[in-house]
Amino acid sequence: MERLILIGLNHNTAPLEVREKVAFDAQRREAELTALREKFSECEVVLLCTCNRTEIYLARSDPTRPGKNELTEFLARSGEFTPATLSGHLYFKTDRDVAAHLFNVASSLDSMVLGETQILGQVREAYEFSRSRDMAGRMLHPLFQRAIAVGKQVLSETKLAEGRVSIASVAVDYARQIFDSFADKTALCIGAGKISTLVLEHLRELGLKKLLVCNRDPEKAKSLAVKYSGKAVEFEKLTESLATADIVITATGSVKPIISRAMFEKVMRRRKHKPVFLIDIALPRDIAPDVGELTNVYLYNLDDLQKVVLATHSQRNGAVEAANLIVAEHVGEFVAWHRARELGPMIDQLFRRSHAAAQEELSRVIGRLGEISAQQREQLEDLTRRIVNKLLHDPVSMLRDGEGRHGSGQYRHAVTKLFKLDEDDEPTES
Amino acid sequence: MPVQPLNAGQLALIIASAAFFLGGAAMSVMQGWLNRRPIRIAAKSMDYWAICLAAAAVIWHCLGRSGSWLPLEDNFETLATLGILLGLFVMYIQRTRPIPGLDWFLLPIVVLLLVSAAVFGTVRPNSRPAGGWWAWTHVLSSYGGAMAFAVAASVGCVYLLLSARLRDKRTMPGPNMGSLERLERVTQISMRLGFALLTLGMITGLVIVLDTGPNNGLGPHWMTSPKVLLATVVWVIYALVLHTPISSGVRGRRSAMLSILGFVLMFGTLIAVQFMPRGQ
Repeated sequence: MERLILIGLNHNTAPLEVREKVAFDAQRREAELTALREKFSECEVVLLCTCNRTEIYLARSDPTRPGKNELTEFLARSGEFTPATLSGHLYFKTDRDVAAHLFNVASSLDSMVLGETQILGQVREAYEFSRSRDMAGRMLHPLFQRAIAVGKQVLSETKLAEGRVSIASVAVDYARQIFDSFADKTALCIGAGKISTLVLEHLRELGLKKLLVCNRDPEKAKSLAVKYSGKAVEFEKLTESLATADIVITATGSVKPIISRAMFEKVMRRRKHKPVFLIDIALPRDIAPDVGELTNVYLYNLDDLQKVVLATHSQRNGAVEAANLIVAEHVGEFVAWHRARELGPMIDQLFRRSHAAAQEELSRVIGRLGEISAQQREQLEDLTRRIVNKLLHDPVSMLRDGEGRHGSGQYRHAVTKLFKLDEDDEPTES
Repeated sequence: MPVQPLNAGQLALIIASAAFFLGGAAMSVMQGWLNRRPIRIAAKSMDYWAICLAAAAVIWHCLGRSGSWLPLEDNFETLATLGILLGLFVMYIQRTRPIPGLDWFLLPIVVLLLVSAAVFGTVRPNSRPAGGWWAWTHVLSSYGGAMAFAVAASVGCVYLLLSARLRDKRTMPGPNMGSLERLERVTQISMRLGFALLTLGMITGLVIVLDTGPNNGLGPHWMTSPKVLLATVVWVIYALVLHTPISSGVRGRRSAMLSILGFVLMFGTLIAVQFMPRGQ
């Protein structure tokens, strides 16, 4: 009987090789959404796709279609998998669990990096994408609106987004505490390792004036420089490059430090002792530790950055609890609201049918009674109406309360069966 | 010029103002760690109240005397006005381009000025020596320079605090204090302004001394008087610090430390002037 369903995979359930095959860019997302809509025309659908997750949120008018298997097949076909291969990586959720999951996603509680704010924008963008194509409406509109509100509340009212979250972001955070503007700053990347590339990626967002890439292998330096719109410099001219750089990222495979204190003292004199930020993420270290003792030199190695990352994780345990409380509160409210809206037409149908039956019986009785005054007729009609209302009062109250408490749809199901509400709404023959 | 003694009401107002400034500074420190809106509002309210109370005390004092309308007629008026201006400057900076932590250091200086105003205004309610516009220019530029140096020293303190935090690689996030680059720039601007005013103050002071001859307030050996010597040392220190963009052996932390040292000496000069008997 579930109306809201979700099928998807994320960084916890699927490896990168699987995720990248079902990751949709804007063009592909449009095509997939259109295909879904053509197949299940009565459904509302939102497709959320980030680097860590691909999820399809559906609101069904027919509570049985599409089902889990149909959606698994759909995703498997998109990623060129067999349904059996993909199903092990997928999760499937319904109703309350859909709301709880989406609220967790929007609040970054389900993200790889806790407290990241990017996901909220991605949720909003996915929803807007569907809404602008009339694919999200009566059901998904309130769900996503509330998810966005929950995400905002969690990020603003808890300390989840405070502090540093990854080595690269820690480095950027420190850079911001040293420099005010980056438009006149030069960064030098020595080595072309994976982490240094990641740090570069973050630093590039600051809007650096110039990026220099230095590597023993000139080809590698050139390719990295091209990728990040920088300039490759010769390894032999490292001292000259260091003198012009305000931010230095080193990650070479050298077994000995490539930057010594004596060398850097000269560099500092050449740069007139302007502050410099050194990020040494090589193992073994590329920069001699005593370089950090020089005035206006701010040296951070992998351990320093990692320590901050770990510390902020433990500091945010309390924030996670607070965020969970906010999410739980909103899930409860949403489910109650959603059920009230679902129950409305059903209760209405129950009353209508009961009143119609009572009126029919009353008409028969009045026919047998012969001539009665208009006032008497009105009194009888009122009596019938009150009897019906009184009889239905307790079952309807139980239905509302019971749904709110148990949330399993048992009462709704029972009422539907007992009063035959799933049949056509025709006047019943007694 | 008749001296207007400080009455109990004015004294109470100035003490209340100092207390409010102190409360505002404490609230600002709390705000650094807790970052809550009510604390921010409370801190600002306290600062506004403090400025109003101090202004009321100065206006009351000015109304009770004859002479110039400028609130610079005696020690009380001058020091209290300086405190008010510094308080207003803090409010302006924190409203336009906030420097978290600035008021932690600057507001206590304001408190010190107000307390000094209360103490010297009662103990030694000197009127300023007559000297026409030269004297006014001398007083205004000297005190204006001191105010700019106070800002430079406060920002220098914030710089040292942030620099220490960055060097310690502390894991606790702590309050956001801006960037070292920005703090250094503000220090430099404040010092340049202060240096220009101090230079003007020294030149006008020299003109007054030469103009008044042996009757100058510093006595016959004015060149070796503590006031002139301290002012010269302060001038040399700031000249050294401001030299840094050209020959930058002194920049960053060293520059911040020198800005603090310069202010301490400058403040010492101001205090020495208050206590120094006439003719020395």
